Amino acid sequence: MNIYLVYTALGFYLVSTFIYALSLALNKTFLEKPGYYSIATGFVVHFASVVARYFEAGYTPITNIYESLSFLSLCIAGFFIYIRRIYRVHMIGCIIAPLVSLVVIMSLNFPYEIKPLVPALRSVWLPIHTILSFIGNSIFIVGFIVSLLYLVVEKEIKKKRSFFFSEKFPSLSTLDRINYRCMSLGFPFLTAGIITGSIWAGFAWGSYWKWDPKETWSLITWIVYAILFHNRLALGWRGKRTAYMMILGFLLIVFTFLGVNFLLKGSHTYI
Amino acid sequence: MKRQAIGIIGLNHNTAPLEIREKLYIKEGSIPELLAKIKREGINEAVVISTCNRTEIYYCGDDNDEMVRKVRRVLADAVAAKDDWFDRYMYIFTDEEAFRHLFLVASGLDSMVIGEPEIFGQVKEAYRIAASARTTGFFLNKTFHKSFNVAKRIRSETRIGYNPLSISSMAVELARRIFGNLDGKKILVVGAGEMCETALKYFQKEGLSDIFITNRTYQKAHKLADEIIGEARPFEALFELLTVVDVVLTSTGSDAPLIGLDMLHMAMKKRKNRPLFFIDIAVPRDVDPAVNDMDNVYLYDIDDLKELSQRHLSNRVKESEKAHVIIEEEATKFSDLLEKIDINPLIGHIMATADSIRSGEIKKTMARLANKDPELADTIDAMTRSIVNKLVHPYLALLKDNQDPAVFDTLKKLFQFEDDDENEMDSGDERV
Repeated sequence: MNIYLVYTALGFYLVSTFIYALSLALNKTFLEKPGYYSIATGFVVHFASVVARYFEAGYTPITNIYESLSFLSLCIAGFFIYIRRIYRVHMIGCIIAPLVSLVVIMSLNFPYEIKPLVPALRSVWLPIHTILSFIGNSIFIVGFIVSLLYLVVEKEIKKKRSFFFSEKFPSLSTLDRINYRCMSLGFPFLTAGIITGSIWAGFAWGSYWKWDPKETWSLITWIVYAILFHNRLALGWRGKRTAYMMILGFLLIVFTFLGVNFLLKGSHTYI
Repeated sequence: MKRQAIGIIGLNHNTAPLEIREKLYIKEGSIPELLAKIKREGINEAVVISTCNRTEIYYCGDDNDEMVRKVRRVLADAVAAKDDWFDRYMYIFTDEEAFRHLFLVASGLDSMVIGEPEIFGQVKEAYRIAASARTTGFFLNKTFHKSFNVAKRIRSETRIGYNPLSISSMAVELARRIFGNLDGKKILVVGAGEMCETALKYFQKEGLSDIFITNRTYQKAHKLADEIIGEARPFEALFELLTVVDVVLTSTGSDAPLIGLDMLHMAMKKRKNRPLFFIDIAVPRDVDPAVNDMDNVYLYDIDDLKELSQRHLSNRVKESEKAHVIIEEEATKFSDLLEKIDINPLIGHIMATADSIRSGEIKKTMARLANKDPELADTIDAMTRSIVNKLVHPYLALLKDNQDPAVFDTLKKLFQFEDDDENEMDSGDERV
């Protein structure tokens, strides 16, 4: 059941991608709205699929690669909707919609059959830790995209030659504000994710912190974002520097999320 | 009086980069001096137009090649121009080409932003300066007055001047890409010239409501501030202002940049790197071009804005074609007219008067005529021309043969020949 809902959601995401691409190609801003509604519908259906899977499996479905990627794309779509409503920015969906579609397609390449939960994950901390961490990660992914956009638009305005992106995408100040919003929302989630993980580790492994690679790398990521956060508030870091730091932070997140599992062996190899 | 050659030496934004234009820019205050030097070289008529986009010297005299050499020498002395600049960046036009060019300039067709109205005022001002320096005579008077007419005609008959994509609107568009919504953004204007006034009115309309104006001469800033609801600030407060505003428009006559890297580094630190957008429409530039490389600082100078305006050009091509047709027509007509006033201005005037009556009547007749056969029109045209010539001929013959001032005065009264402008004629003895 849940998997059909995922396919339906993917359908909406793809439609949204198509509409956004069309709006970009034809330079028609009125197409942005249907694109947005389409991704929003996809989000609702996708969310329903997670709920359905929760009831079918009997546990929070963020336990393997398929479930993780699927949940991550759900969070990205959700956070995009949030940003879109607050800043009334338009064309960012041109990037988010294909990204979300892509992550869902990727997730479907991994085994998605429901299996009994491994004993190590049977804990009340599973939903708390994973949901907080994934929301944090998805916010930083959106921040990463906004940062890339910022750099592209900034370069255009400085070089003064082509204005393809700056004509279509939000202004530099808006992008910077969204970036700041991503930073200030993502950071507490990341922090909470690490703390709850540590508490869970305290119960499960008997030690709150044992320098497991995943722990180490998430701490490094946390420090990078903490520096960025501090510099923004204390030193007035804006624009390009913030964007570069957000990109660095994102690369660390990707490494912590995937790289650690594939490259380094640790206790945190459930997904 | 013999028909004389009219020529231009000049450069504009199409032929020379900003760096060169900056060096060849001649300040309004130095123009009379330059004109005097040209006159000392034996060239009796000259006008100097110098704006941020062009420096052009119009001259008129007997021997064109000789004049080109002389004007080049004077200009090279005045601005320390290198010899190869003349070949690389400058154009020389003579006679019909020259006044066609002037017509284009005055109508804004040669401007960076096609159809912009400011240049018309600048050409008028350049002419006024030359007239009061007494370096304009019969030919340049006629030519410049004609150019004003042509510019007015183009404005009324084409839409080239409509919806002017002025520098201001491009600046606002760029500001939107940097700041998004402009409501409540603060703007600082350095300089209090006419350009600033036009730009400010536009900015105000677009929501930039907090306006600060500063200028070396505080009174000027104050006056402009009163006119457009802004705050005048002393020039010494420039640094403080840079720490609070979002957009800075500079347009002063300063020779050296007013805003450099060091000053801006300090200002950016103080404003916690909030973005700052400079629009520098001054030539020479007021803001050091290197500041564009600083984070969160954006600088557009007059050449950058030109690039942008080119992009919007395509939809104006049609109107611009129409305008060029008018210019062509007027240039040919004017050329014919000059041929006729070979001997003296009164003769030219008599012929022009007669011809304008003739063409007015032809127009009326042609409008009433049911048969619009071009052959018929040609015949009528030729016939009226010969009638007019025969009627006018005795007067002209009298003038040519007779140097008696009484004859001159009588004919002058008869054909209502008088100066349009008290400065227009160089001296009385040149008339006959």
